[in-house]
Amino acid sequence: MDDKRAEIRHSIMDTRSLPTLPGIISKLNSLSSNDKSSAEQMAQLVASDQVLSARVLRLVNSPSYGFYRVSTISNAMILLGVNVVKSLALSSSIFEIMEKNVVGLWEHSLGTGVAANVIARRLKLAECEEISTAALLHDIGKVIIKIKFADDYDQLLALIDTKGISIRDGEMELLATDHAEVGAWLAKSWHLPEKLIEPVACHHQVEKSTTHQLKTAVVHLADVLIKASGFGCSGDDFVPLIQPVAWDLLGMSEALLAEIVEELEERLIEVKNFSMEIQSADETST
Amino acid sequence: MKPQLRLTLVSTDQALAGHLAIRLQSKGYQVLCLSRLAGVLGSIYSDPPNIVIADLAEIDPEILAIVKSMKADCYFSTIPVLGLLSSARVEEFDWQECPLDDFVAMPVLYPELFSRISLSLQRIQRVFDNNPLTRLPGNTSIQQAIEKALGKPMAVCYVDINNFKPYNDVYGFSHGDGVLRMLARIIFNAVNESGGGFAGHIGGDDFVYLVPLERAEAVAKTVIANFTTIVADLFGEVEKSNGFYCALNRKGQEEQVPLLGIAIAIVPTHTQKMQHYGKVAEVAAEMKKLAKQSNESCYVIDRRST
Repeated sequence: MDDKRAEIRHSIMDTRSLPTLPGIISKLNSLSSNDKSSAEQMAQLVASDQVLSARVLRLVNSPSYGFYRVSTISNAMILLGVNVVKSLALSSSIFEIMEKNVVGLWEHSLGTGVAANVIARRLKLAECEEISTAALLHDIGKVIIKIKFADDYDQLLALIDTKGISIRDGEMELLATDHAEVGAWLAKSWHLPEKLIEPVACHHQVEKSTTHQLKTAVVHLADVLIKASGFGCSGDDFVPLIQPVAWDLLGMSEALLAEIVEELEERLIEVKNFSMEIQSADETST
Repeated sequence: MKPQLRLTLVSTDQALAGHLAIRLQSKGYQVLCLSRLAGVLGSIYSDPPNIVIADLAEIDPEILAIVKSMKADCYFSTIPVLGLLSSARVEEFDWQECPLDDFVAMPVLYPELFSRISLSLQRIQRVFDNNPLTRLPGNTSIQQAIEKALGKPMAVCYVDINNFKPYNDVYGFSHGDGVLRMLARIIFNAVNESGGGFAGHIGGDDFVYLVPLERAEAVAKTVIANFTTIVADLFGEVEKSNGFYCALNRKGQEEQVPLLGIAIAIVPTHTQKMQHYGKVAEVAAEMKKLAKQSNESCYVIDRRST
Protein backbone atom coordinates (compact mmCIF):
# COMPACT_ATOMS: atom_id res chain seq x y z
CA MET A 1 0.00 0.00 0.00
CA ASP A 2 2.93 2.32 0.68
CA ASP A 3 3.98 1.60 -2.88
CA LYS A 4 0.91 3.47 -4.01
CA ARG A 5 1.92 6.46 -1.93
CA ALA A 6 5.40 6.39 -3.48
CA GLU A 7 3.89 6.00 -6.94
CA ILE A 8 1.66 9.03 -6.49
CA ARG A 9 4.51 11.06 -5.09
CA HIS A 10 6.67 10.07 -8.03
CA SER A 11 4.01 10.95 -10.59
CA ILE A 12 3.84 14.49 -9.18
CA MET A 13 7.35 15.13 -10.39
CA ASP A 14 6.38 15.03 -14.03
CA THR A 15 3.01 16.71 -13.57
CA ARG A 16 3.23 20.02 -15.37
CA SER A 17 -0.40 20.67 -16.02
CA LEU A 18 -3.89 19.57 -15.05
CA PRO A 19 -7.15 19.90 -16.93
CA THR A 20 -9.68 22.62 -16.28
CA LEU A 21 -13.33 23.23 -17.12
CA PRO A 22 -14.01 23.79 -20.83
CA GLY A 23 -16.31 26.69 -19.89
CA ILE A 24 -13.38 28.62 -18.41
CA ILE A 25 -11.41 28.24 -21.61
CA SER A 26 -14.26 29.30 -23.88
CA LYS A 27 -14.87 32.30 -21.61
CA LEU A 28 -11.20 33.23 -21.86
CA ASN A 29 -11.31 32.84 -25.60
CA SER A 30 -14.24 35.19 -25.87
CA LEU A 31 -12.41 38.02 -24.09
CA SER A 32 -11.23 40.64 -26.53
CA SER A 33 -7.53 41.33 -26.36
CA ASN A 34 -5.84 44.45 -25.08
CA ASP A 35 -8.28 46.40 -23.06
CA LYS A 36 -8.34 47.01 -19.39
CA SER A 37 -11.72 45.48 -18.56
CA SER A 38 -10.85 42.23 -20.28
CA ALA A 39 -7.58 42.07 -18.32
CA GLU A 40 -9.61 42.34 -15.13
CA GLN A 41 -12.08 39.71 -16.30
CA MET A 42 -9.20 37.45 -17.18
CA ALA A 43 -7.72 37.85 -13.70
CA GLN A 44 -11.12 37.01 -12.23
CA LEU A 45 -11.44 33.87 -14.37
CA VAL A 46 -7.95 32.68 -13.50
CA ALA A 47 -8.51 33.37 -9.81
CA SER A 48 -11.73 31.34 -9.89
CA ASP A 49 -10.06 28.18 -11.10
CA GLN A 50 -7.76 26.13 -8.92
CA VAL A 51 -5.89 24.59 -11.81
CA LEU A 52 -5.31 27.83 -13.73
CA SER A 53 -4.29 29.60 -10.54
CA ALA A 54 -1.83 26.86 -9.67
CA ARG A 55 -0.36 26.91 -13.19
CA VAL A 56 0.05 30.69 -13.19
CA LEU A 57 1.70 30.57 -9.77
CA ARG A 58 3.96 27.76 -10.94
CA LEU A 59 5.17 29.88 -13.85
CA VAL A 60 5.70 33.07 -11.86
CA ASN A 61 7.60 31.16 -9.15
CA SER A 62 9.73 29.20 -11.62
CA PRO A 63 13.44 29.69 -10.97
CA SER A 64 14.02 30.96 -14.51
CA TYR A 65 12.16 34.18 -13.78
CA GLY A 66 14.04 34.55 -10.50
CA PHE A 67 11.40 36.65 -8.76
CA TYR A 68 11.03 36.67 -5.04
CA ARG A 69 8.18 34.32 -3.97
CA VAL A 70 4.83 35.32 -5.51
CA SER A 71 1.64 34.06 -3.85
CA THR A 72 -1.29 35.92 -5.40
CA ILE A 73 -2.83 35.92 -8.86
CA SER A 74 -2.93 39.71 -9.06
CA ASN A 75 0.81 39.91 -8.39
CA ALA A 76 1.43 37.13 -10.88
CA MET A 77 -0.52 39.08 -13.52
CA ILE A 78 1.58 42.19 -12.87
CA LEU A 79 4.84 40.29 -13.21
CA LEU A 80 4.03 37.89 -16.03
CA GLY A 81 1.94 40.31 -18.05
CA VAL A 82 -1.50 39.84 -19.54
CA ASN A 83 -0.26 38.18 -22.72
CA VAL A 84 1.78 35.52 -20.96
CA VAL A 85 -1.06 34.66 -18.56
CA LYS A 86 -3.57 34.49 -21.38
CA SER A 87 -1.40 32.22 -23.54
CA LEU A 88 -0.70 30.00 -20.57
CA ALA A 89 -4.38 29.76 -19.66
CA LEU A 90 -5.46 29.03 -23.22
CA SER A 91 -2.91 26.23 -23.48
CA SER A 92 -4.69 24.33 -20.70
CA SER A 93 -6.12 20.95 -21.37
CA ILE A 94 -9.77 20.45 -20.48
CA PHE A 95 -11.77 17.69 -18.87
CA GLU A 96 -12.90 15.46 -21.72
CA ILE A 97 -16.09 14.35 -20.07
CA MET A 98 -17.91 16.73 -17.77
CA GLU A 99 -18.91 14.56 -14.88
CA LYS A 100 -21.02 15.95 -12.13
CA ASN A 101 -18.28 15.60 -9.54
CA VAL A 102 -15.84 17.60 -11.66
CA VAL A 103 -18.12 20.62 -11.59
CA GLY A 104 -18.93 19.84 -7.95
CA LEU A 105 -15.29 19.95 -6.92
CA TRP A 106 -14.69 23.10 -8.96
CA GLU A 107 -17.58 24.79 -7.17
CA HIS A 108 -16.38 23.51 -3.80
CA SER A 109 -12.89 24.93 -4.38
CA LEU A 110 -14.17 28.28 -5.61
CA GLY A 111 -16.65 28.45 -2.73
CA THR A 112 -13.94 27.69 -0.17
CA GLY A 113 -11.80 30.47 -1.66
CA VAL A 114 -14.71 32.90 -1.28
CA ALA A 115 -15.47 31.72 2.25
CA ALA A 116 -11.81 32.11 3.27
CA ASN A 117 -11.92 35.65 1.91
CA VAL A 118 -15.05 36.46 3.92
CA ILE A 119 -13.49 35.05 7.11
CA ALA A 120 -10.11 36.74 6.62
CA ARG A 121 -11.68 40.13 5.95
CA ARG A 122 -14.10 39.82 8.85
CA LEU A 123 -11.20 38.99 11.21
CA LYS A 124 -9.11 41.75 9.59
CA LEU A 125 -6.27 39.33 8.93
CA ALA A 126 -3.25 40.28 6.87
CA GLU A 127 -2.80 38.85 3.39
CA CYS A 128 -6.44 38.12 2.59
CA GLU A 129 -5.71 37.39 -1.06
CA GLU A 130 -3.03 34.84 -0.13
CA ILE A 131 -5.50 33.13 2.20
CA SER A 132 -8.17 32.98 -0.52
CA THR A 133 -5.64 31.54 -2.96
CA ALA A 134 -4.58 28.87 -0.47
CA ALA A 135 -8.25 28.01 0.10
CA LEU A 136 -8.91 27.84 -3.63
CA LEU A 137 -6.04 25.35 -3.98
CA HIS A 138 -6.76 23.29 -0.86
CA ASP A 139 -8.29 20.29 -2.69
CA ILE A 140 -6.05 20.28 -5.75
CA GLY A 141 -4.77 16.89 -4.58
CA LYS A 142 -8.19 15.47 -5.47
CA VAL A 143 -7.78 16.63 -9.07
CA ILE A 144 -4.39 14.93 -9.25
CA ILE A 145 -5.74 11.65 -7.90
CA LYS A 146 -8.68 11.76 -10.28
CA ILE A 147 -6.60 12.59 -13.35
CA LYS A 148 -3.43 10.64 -12.75
CA PHE A 149 -4.93 7.64 -10.94
CA ALA A 150 -8.34 7.35 -12.55
CA ASP A 151 -8.75 3.65 -11.70
CA ASP A 152 -7.90 4.20 -8.06
CA TYR A 153 -10.26 7.14 -8.02
CA ASP A 154 -13.16 5.00 -9.23
CA GLN A 155 -12.29 2.38 -6.59
CA LEU A 156 -12.16 5.13 -4.01
CA LEU A 157 -15.66 6.33 -4.86
CA ALA A 158 -16.98 2.77 -4.66
CA LEU A 159 -15.20 2.23 -1.34
CA ILE A 160 -16.56 5.30 0.40
CA ASP A 161 -19.99 4.50 -0.96
CA THR A 162 -20.09 0.93 0.37
CA LYS A 163 -18.34 1.64 3.65
CA GLY A 164 -20.02 4.97 4.24
CA ILE A 165 -16.73 6.68 5.14
CA SER A 166 -15.34 10.10 4.26
CA ILE A 167 -13.27 10.57 1.12
CA ARG A 168 -10.19 11.28 3.22
CA ASP A 169 -10.57 8.04 5.20
CA GLY A 170 -11.07 6.23 1.93
CA GLU A 171 -7.88 7.76 0.51
CA MET A 172 -5.89 6.72 3.58
CA GLU A 173 -7.22 3.19 3.34
CA LEU A 174 -6.71 2.77 -0.37
CA LEU A 175 -3.70 4.97 -1.17
CA ALA A 176 -1.90 5.37 2.18
CA THR A 177 -1.94 9.10 1.65
CA ASP A 178 -4.62 11.78 1.33
CA HIS A 179 -5.45 14.63 -1.02
CA ALA A 180 -3.94 17.18 1.38
CA GLU A 181 -0.53 15.54 1.23
CA VAL A 182 -0.78 14.97 -2.53
CA GLY A 183 -1.77 18.61 -3.08
CA ALA A 184 1.14 19.79 -0.95
CA TRP A 185 3.57 17.64 -2.96
CA LEU A 186 2.36 19.31 -6.11
CA ALA A 187 2.56 22.79 -4.59
CA LYS A 188 6.11 22.08 -3.46
CA SER A 189 7.22 20.63 -6.75
CA TRP A 190 5.74 23.67 -8.52
CA HIS A 191 7.80 25.99 -6.28
CA LEU A 192 4.74 27.65 -4.75
CA PRO A 193 5.43 29.71 -1.61
CA GLU A 194 5.32 28.05 1.81
CA LYS A 195 2.35 30.22 2.84
CA LEU A 196 0.28 28.41 0.21
CA ILE A 197 1.75 24.95 0.75
CA GLU A 198 1.13 24.70 4.47
CA PRO A 199 -2.62 25.47 4.44
CA VAL A 200 -3.06 22.93 1.63
CA ALA A 201 -1.07 20.31 3.54
CA CYS A 202 -2.73 20.87 6.92
CA HIS A 203 -6.32 21.85 6.15
CA HIS A 204 -7.55 18.64 7.81
CA GLN A 205 -4.98 18.77 10.62
CA VAL A 206 -4.60 22.37 11.70
CA GLU A 207 -2.45 21.32 14.66
CA LYS A 208 0.29 20.19 12.25
CA SER A 209 0.68 23.67 10.88
CA THR A 210 3.77 25.38 12.26
CA THR A 211 4.47 28.72 10.59
CA HIS A 212 1.23 29.69 8.84
CA GLN A 213 -1.28 28.60 11.47
CA LEU A 214 -3.73 31.44 10.97
CA LYS A 215 -3.93 30.88 7.24
CA THR A 216 -4.33 27.15 7.77
CA ALA A 217 -7.07 27.70 10.36
CA VAL A 218 -9.00 29.97 7.98
CA VAL A 219 -8.76 27.46 5.13
CA HIS A 220 -9.94 24.68 7.44
CA LEU A 221 -12.90 26.71 8.67
CA ALA A 222 -13.79 27.81 5.14
CA ASP A 223 -13.73 24.21 3.95
CA VAL A 224 -16.06 23.13 6.77
CA LEU A 225 -18.45 26.04 6.20
CA ILE A 226 -18.73 25.35 2.48
CA LYS A 227 -19.37 21.66 3.09
CA ALA A 228 -22.03 22.60 5.64
CA SER A 229 -23.65 25.06 3.23
CA GLY A 230 -24.15 22.32 0.66
CA PHE A 231 -22.47 24.42 -2.03
CA GLY A 232 -20.67 22.32 -4.64
CA CYS A 233 -19.40 18.87 -3.81
CA SER A 234 -16.04 17.88 -2.35
CA GLY A 235 -16.55 14.17 -2.94
CA ASP A 236 -18.62 13.10 0.06
CA ASP A 237 -21.49 14.44 2.14
CA PHE A 238 -19.72 14.52 5.49
CA VAL A 239 -19.31 17.79 7.31
CA PRO A 240 -16.24 17.57 9.52
CA LEU A 241 -16.20 19.27 12.90
CA ILE A 242 -14.48 22.61 13.23
CA GLN A 243 -11.22 21.74 14.97
CA PRO A 244 -10.95 23.42 18.39
CA VAL A 245 -7.38 24.49 17.66
CA ALA A 246 -8.62 26.44 14.61
CA TRP A 247 -11.52 27.89 16.57
CA ASP A 248 -9.13 29.15 19.26
CA LEU A 249 -6.49 30.42 16.84
CA LEU A 250 -9.07 32.56 15.09
CA GLY A 251 -10.67 33.75 18.35
CA MET A 252 -13.99 32.55 16.95
CA SER A 253 -17.29 32.92 18.80
CA GLU A 254 -20.81 31.68 18.04
CA ALA A 255 -21.97 35.20 17.29
CA LEU A 256 -19.03 35.96 15.00
CA LEU A 257 -19.51 32.68 13.17
CA ALA A 258 -23.18 33.47 12.62
CA GLU A 259 -22.24 36.82 11.04
CA ILE A 260 -19.70 35.14 8.80
CA VAL A 261 -22.19 32.51 7.69
CA GLU A 262 -24.77 35.16 6.90
CA GLU A 263 -22.34 37.15 4.76
CA LEU A 264 -21.15 33.96 3.09
CA GLU A 265 -24.69 32.91 2.13
CA GLU A 266 -25.08 36.18 0.23
CA ARG A 267 -21.76 35.85 -1.52
CA LEU A 268 -22.56 32.28 -2.54
CA ILE A 269 -25.53 33.48 -4.59
CA GLU A 270 -23.15 35.48 -6.80
CA VAL A 271 -20.75 32.56 -6.94
CA LYS A 272 -23.55 30.24 -8.04
CA ASN A 273 -24.47 32.65 -10.82
CA PHE A 274 -20.86 32.79 -11.96
CA SER A 275 -20.70 29.01 -11.93
CA MET A 276 -23.89 28.75 -14.05
CA GLU A 277 -22.36 31.22 -16.48
CA ILE A 278 -19.21 29.09 -16.81
CA GLN A 279 -21.22 25.93 -17.29
CA SER A 280 -23.43 27.48 -19.95
CA ALA A 281 -20.35 28.91 -21.70
CA ASP A 282 -19.29 25.32 -22.01
CA GLU A 283 -22.56 24.27 -23.62
CA THR A 284 -22.56 27.10 -26.15
CA SER A 285 -19.01 26.30 -27.20
CA THR A 286 -19.67 22.66 -28.01
CA MET B 1 25.92 57.22 -44.39
CA LYS B 2 26.46 54.31 -42.06
CA PRO B 3 30.01 54.04 -40.73
CA GLN B 4 32.00 51.34 -42.50
CA LEU B 5 32.12 48.05 -40.66
CA ARG B 6 35.65 47.01 -39.91
CA LEU B 7 36.65 43.42 -40.47
CA THR B 8 39.87 41.67 -39.55
CA LEU B 9 40.84 38.65 -41.64
CA VAL B 10 43.34 36.28 -40.08
CA SER B 11 44.94 33.89 -42.58
CA THR B 12 48.37 32.60 -43.51
CA ASP B 13 47.09 31.84 -47.00
CA GLN B 14 47.81 35.11 -48.78
CA ALA B 15 46.12 34.15 -52.03
CA LEU B 16 42.87 33.29 -50.23
CA ALA B 17 43.10 36.40 -48.07
CA GLY B 18 43.57 38.65 -51.07
CA HIS B 19 40.63 37.10 -52.82
CA LEU B 20 38.32 37.39 -49.81
CA ALA B 21 39.43 40.96 -49.15
CA ILE B 22 38.40 42.08 -52.63
CA ARG B 23 34.96 40.49 -52.32
CA LEU B 24 34.40 41.90 -48.85
CA GLN B 25 35.54 45.38 -49.84
CA SER B 26 33.10 45.29 -52.73
CA LYS B 27 30.40 44.81 -50.08
CA GLY B 28 31.53 47.92 -48.27
CA TYR B 29 33.59 46.38 -45.50
CA GLN B 30 36.88 47.89 -44.47
CA VAL B 31 39.15 44.86 -44.44
CA LEU B 32 42.43 44.36 -42.61
CA CYS B 33 44.32 41.21 -43.63
CA LEU B 34 46.71 39.84 -41.03
CA SER B 35 49.06 37.03 -41.99
CA ARG B 36 51.75 37.60 -39.40
CA LEU B 37 50.09 35.76 -36.55
CA ALA B 38 52.28 37.15 -33.78
CA GLY B 39 50.82 40.60 -34.34
CA VAL B 40 47.15 39.61 -34.59
CA LEU B 41 46.09 39.94 -30.96
CA GLY B 42 47.92 43.20 -30.53
CA SER B 43 46.22 44.61 -33.60
CA ILE B 44 42.76 43.47 -32.42
CA TYR B 45 43.28 44.77 -28.90
CA SER B 46 44.62 48.14 -29.95
CA ASP B 47 41.97 48.72 -32.57
CA PRO B 48 39.04 46.31 -32.10
CA PRO B 49 37.26 45.43 -35.36
CA ASN B 50 33.49 44.75 -35.64
CA ILE B 51 34.10 41.17 -36.70
CA VAL B 52 36.98 38.73 -37.10
CA ILE B 53 37.26 36.04 -39.74
CA ALA B 54 39.73 33.30 -38.87
CA ASP B 55 41.01 30.95 -41.54
CA LEU B 56 40.95 27.50 -39.97
CA ALA B 57 40.91 25.49 -43.19
CA GLU B 58 44.24 23.98 -42.13
CA ILE B 59 43.61 23.97 -38.43
CA ASP B 60 46.50 26.15 -37.35
CA PRO B 61 47.11 25.88 -33.57
CA GLU B 62 48.37 29.44 -33.47
CA ILE B 63 45.12 30.79 -34.94
CA LEU B 64 43.14 28.60 -32.53
CA ALA B 65 45.11 30.12 -29.67
CA ILE B 66 44.30 33.63 -30.94
CA VAL B 67 40.57 32.88 -31.01
CA LYS B 68 40.72 31.39 -27.53
CA SER B 69 42.54 34.35 -26.01
CA MET B 70 40.10 36.76 -27.59
CA LYS B 71 37.12 34.86 -26.26
CA ALA B 72 38.68 34.50 -22.82
CA ASP B 73 38.71 38.27 -22.31
CA CYS B 74 35.17 39.41 -21.60
CA TYR B 75 35.79 42.80 -23.17
CA PHE B 76 36.83 41.34 -26.54
CA SER B 77 34.62 38.27 -26.39
CA THR B 78 31.78 40.40 -27.71
CA ILE B 79 33.49 40.59 -31.11
CA PRO B 80 32.04 37.84 -33.29
CA VAL B 81 34.56 35.40 -34.71
CA LEU B 82 33.67 33.52 -37.87
CA GLY B 83 35.76 30.47 -38.77
CA LEU B 84 36.52 29.34 -42.29
CA LEU B 85 36.51 25.55 -42.11
CA SER B 86 37.11 22.93 -44.74
CA SER B 87 33.84 21.14 -45.50
CA ALA B 88 35.46 17.79 -44.92
CA ARG B 89 36.42 18.68 -41.36
CA VAL B 90 33.37 20.58 -40.20
CA GLU B 91 31.82 17.61 -38.47
CA GLU B 92 34.87 16.71 -36.44
CA PHE B 93 35.59 20.28 -35.42
CA ASP B 94 35.93 20.71 -31.67
CA TRP B 95 33.53 23.58 -30.90
CA GLN B 96 34.27 23.49 -27.22
CA GLU B 97 37.99 23.74 -27.75
CA CYS B 98 37.63 26.61 -30.19
CA PRO B 99 34.84 29.05 -29.24
CA LEU B 100 33.76 30.32 -32.67
CA ASP B 101 30.51 32.24 -33.06
CA ASP B 102 29.79 30.83 -36.48
CA PHE B 103 31.53 29.23 -39.45
CA VAL B 104 31.51 29.15 -43.21
CA ALA B 105 32.57 26.02 -45.06
CA MET B 106 35.25 26.15 -47.77
CA PRO B 107 35.10 26.65 -50.66
CA VAL B 108 33.37 29.86 -49.71
CA LEU B 109 29.96 30.68 -51.13
CA TYR B 110 30.03 34.46 -51.00
CA PRO B 111 26.33 35.18 -50.54
CA GLU B 112 26.41 32.85 -47.52
CA LEU B 113 29.54 34.47 -46.13
CA PHE B 114 27.96 37.93 -46.34
CA SER B 115 24.78 36.72 -44.65
CA ARG B 116 26.74 34.98 -41.90
CA ILE B 117 28.63 38.19 -41.22
CA SER B 118 25.41 40.22 -40.93
CA LEU B 119 23.77 37.57 -38.78
CA SER B 120 26.75 37.34 -36.42
CA LEU B 121 26.76 41.09 -35.94
CA GLN B 122 23.04 41.15 -35.21
CA ARG B 123 23.18 38.22 -32.85
CA ILE B 124 26.06 39.53 -30.83
CA GLN B 125 24.19 42.81 -30.42
CA ARG B 126 21.10 41.00 -29.14
CA VAL B 127 22.94 38.74 -26.76
CA PHE B 128 25.49 41.12 -25.33
CA ASP B 129 23.40 44.20 -24.98
CA ASN B 130 20.73 42.55 -22.87
CA ASN B 131 21.18 42.78 -19.15
CA PRO B 132 21.96 39.26 -17.91
CA LEU B 133 19.91 39.74 -14.74
CA THR B 134 16.72 41.19 -16.19
CA ARG B 135 17.18 40.37 -19.90
CA LEU B 136 16.13 43.90 -20.80
CA PRO B 137 18.14 45.66 -23.53
CA GLY B 138 21.16 47.60 -22.28
CA ASN B 139 22.88 50.87 -22.97
CA THR B 140 23.65 50.52 -26.67
CA SER B 141 19.98 49.85 -27.45
CA ILE B 142 18.85 52.51 -24.99
CA GLN B 143 21.02 55.15 -26.62
CA GLN B 144 19.73 54.18 -30.07
CA ALA B 145 16.12 54.32 -28.87
CA ILE B 146 16.61 57.76 -27.31
CA GLU B 147 18.36 59.15 -30.40
CA LYS B 148 15.50 57.92 -32.55
CA ALA B 149 13.00 59.65 -30.26
CA LEU B 150 14.65 63.10 -30.34
CA GLY B 151 12.42 65.71 -31.92
CA LYS B 152 9.36 63.44 -31.76
CA PRO B 153 6.46 63.61 -29.29
CA MET B 154 7.96 60.87 -27.14
CA ALA B 155 9.01 60.71 -23.50
CA VAL B 156 12.14 59.18 -22.02
CA CYS B 157 11.31 58.01 -18.51
CA TYR B 158 14.08 57.17 -16.04
CA VAL B 159 13.16 54.90 -13.15
CA ASP B 160 15.20 54.12 -10.05
CA ILE B 161 14.60 52.64 -6.62
CA ASN B 162 14.71 54.78 -3.47
CA ASN B 163 16.78 53.41 -0.61
CA PHE B 164 17.90 50.38 -2.56
CA LYS B 165 21.35 50.15 -0.98
CA PRO B 166 20.19 49.65 2.62
CA TYR B 167 17.66 47.08 1.35
CA ASN B 168 20.50 45.08 -0.21
CA ASP B 169 22.56 45.43 2.96
CA VAL B 170 19.79 44.19 5.23
CA TYR B 171 18.09 41.55 3.08
CA GLY B 172 21.01 40.42 0.92
CA PHE B 173 21.91 40.67 -2.75
CA SER B 174 19.80 37.75 -3.86
CA HIS B 175 16.66 39.46 -2.52
CA GLY B 176 17.84 42.67 -4.14
CA ASP B 177 18.26 40.91 -7.47
CA GLY B 178 14.73 39.57 -7.11
CA VAL B 179 13.47 43.13 -6.69
CA LEU B 180 15.37 44.28 -9.80
CA ARG B 181 13.93 41.41 -11.86
CA MET B 182 10.42 42.24 -10.67
CA LEU B 183 10.78 45.96 -11.40
CA ALA B 184 12.12 45.12 -14.87
CA ARG B 185 9.11 42.98 -15.56
CA ILE B 186 6.68 45.54 -14.15
CA ILE B 187 8.09 48.23 -16.45
CA PHE B 188 8.18 45.91 -19.46
CA ASN B 189 4.55 44.82 -18.98
CA ALA B 190 3.29 48.33 -18.25
CA VAL B 191 4.91 49.65 -21.44
CA ASN B 192 3.65 46.78 -23.59
CA GLU B 193 0.15 46.76 -22.18
CA SER B 194 -0.16 50.53 -22.68
CA GLY B 195 0.29 49.95 -26.40
CA GLY B 196 4.02 49.42 -26.83
CA GLY B 197 7.30 51.28 -26.53
CA PHE B 198 10.80 50.51 -25.34
CA ALA B 199 12.02 49.31 -21.93
CA GLY B 200 15.70 49.03 -21.03
CA HIS B 201 17.99 48.42 -18.07
CA ILE B 202 20.80 50.93 -17.66
CA GLY B 203 22.39 48.98 -14.82
CA GLY B 204 21.98 48.48 -11.08
CA ASP B 205 18.64 49.94 -10.01
CA ASP B 206 18.46 52.33 -12.99
CA PHE B 207 15.92 51.62 -15.70
CA VAL B 208 14.51 53.58 -18.61
CA TYR B 209 11.44 53.34 -20.80
CA LEU B 210 10.25 55.25 -23.84
CA VAL B 211 6.60 55.69 -24.79
CA PRO B 212 4.64 58.30 -26.76
CA LEU B 213 4.38 61.45 -24.65
CA GLU B 214 0.61 61.24 -24.16
CA ARG B 215 1.00 57.86 -22.44
CA ALA B 216 4.03 58.68 -20.30
CA GLU B 217 2.16 59.69 -17.15
CA ALA B 218 -0.33 56.82 -17.33
CA VAL B 219 2.50 54.30 -17.63
CA ALA B 220 4.36 55.98 -14.75
CA LYS B 221 1.23 55.64 -12.58
CA THR B 222 0.86 51.96 -13.50
CA VAL B 223 4.52 51.24 -12.77
CA ILE B 224 4.29 52.96 -9.39
CA ALA B 225 1.00 51.25 -8.44
CA ASN B 226 2.24 47.80 -9.46
CA PHE B 227 5.61 48.24 -7.78
CA THR B 228 3.86 49.30 -4.57
CA THR B 229 1.64 46.19 -4.68
CA ILE B 230 4.53 43.83 -5.33
CA VAL B 231 6.81 45.41 -2.74
CA ALA B 232 4.17 44.93 -0.06
CA ASP B 233 4.76 41.19 -0.42
CA LEU B 234 8.47 41.55 0.36
CA PHE B 235 8.10 42.91 3.86
CA GLY B 236 6.64 41.43 7.02
CA GLU B 237 3.49 42.67 8.72
CA VAL B 238 5.42 44.76 11.26
CA GLU B 239 7.47 46.58 8.65
CA LYS B 240 4.38 47.17 6.52
CA SER B 241 2.38 48.77 9.31
CA ASN B 242 5.39 50.84 10.47
CA GLY B 243 6.25 51.89 6.93
CA PHE B 244 9.96 51.33 7.61
CA TYR B 245 12.50 48.70 8.53
CA CYS B 246 15.64 49.00 10.62
CA ALA B 247 19.17 49.04 9.26
CA LEU B 248 22.59 50.08 10.47
CA ASN B 249 23.96 53.22 8.87
CA ARG B 250 27.62 53.90 8.08
CA LYS B 251 28.33 54.92 11.63
CA GLY B 252 26.90 51.65 12.90
CA GLN B 253 23.81 53.32 14.36
CA GLU B 254 20.37 51.86 13.91
CA GLU B 255 18.34 53.81 11.40
CA GLN B 256 14.76 53.63 10.14
CA VAL B 257 14.73 53.05 6.40
CA PRO B 258 11.47 53.66 4.49
CA LEU B 259 10.09 50.71 2.51
CA LEU B 260 11.17 50.51 -1.11
CA GLY B 261 9.73 53.09 -3.48
CA ILE B 262 10.60 54.35 -6.95
CA ALA B 263 11.26 57.72 -8.53
CA ILE B 264 10.45 58.37 -12.19
CA ALA B 265 11.81 61.32 -14.17
CA ILE B 266 9.87 61.98 -17.38
CA VAL B 267 11.67 63.91 -20.12
CA PRO B 268 9.69 64.85 -23.26
CA THR B 269 11.85 64.71 -26.38
CA HIS B 270 9.92 66.92 -28.80
CA THR B 271 11.13 70.30 -27.49
CA GLN B 272 13.72 72.49 -29.18
CA LYS B 273 16.31 71.98 -26.47
CA MET B 274 16.42 68.20 -26.92
CA GLN B 275 19.06 68.10 -29.62
CA HIS B 276 21.16 65.24 -28.37
CA TYR B 277 21.34 62.29 -26.00
CA GLY B 278 23.42 64.14 -23.42
CA LYS B 279 20.77 66.82 -22.97
CA VAL B 280 18.14 64.18 -22.19
CA ALA B 281 20.33 62.70 -19.48
CA GLU B 282 21.04 66.17 -18.07
CA VAL B 283 17.35 67.11 -17.78
CA ALA B 284 16.58 63.65 -16.39
CA ALA B 285 19.12 64.19 -13.61
CA GLU B 286 17.37 67.46 -12.64
CA MET B 287 13.95 65.78 -12.64
CA LYS B 288 15.30 62.84 -10.67
CA LYS B 289 16.53 65.18 -7.98
CA LEU B 290 13.02 66.57 -7.61
CA ALA B 291 11.38 63.15 -7.59
CA LYS B 292 13.85 61.98 -4.96
CA GLN B 293 12.78 64.68 -2.50
CA SER B 294 9.89 62.44 -1.54
CA ASN B 295 10.28 59.11 0.21
CA GLU B 296 7.06 57.98 -1.40
CA SER B 297 7.08 56.71 -4.97
CA CYS B 298 6.40 59.53 -7.42
CA TYR B 299 7.10 60.85 -10.90
CA VAL B 300 8.18 64.29 -12.08
CA ILE B 301 7.69 65.53 -15.63
CA ASP B 302 9.69 68.30 -17.33
CA ARG B 303 7.15 70.75 -18.72
CA ARG B 304 9.61 73.54 -19.56
CA SER B 305 9.81 74.10 -23.28
CA THR B 306 13.22 75.75 -23.17
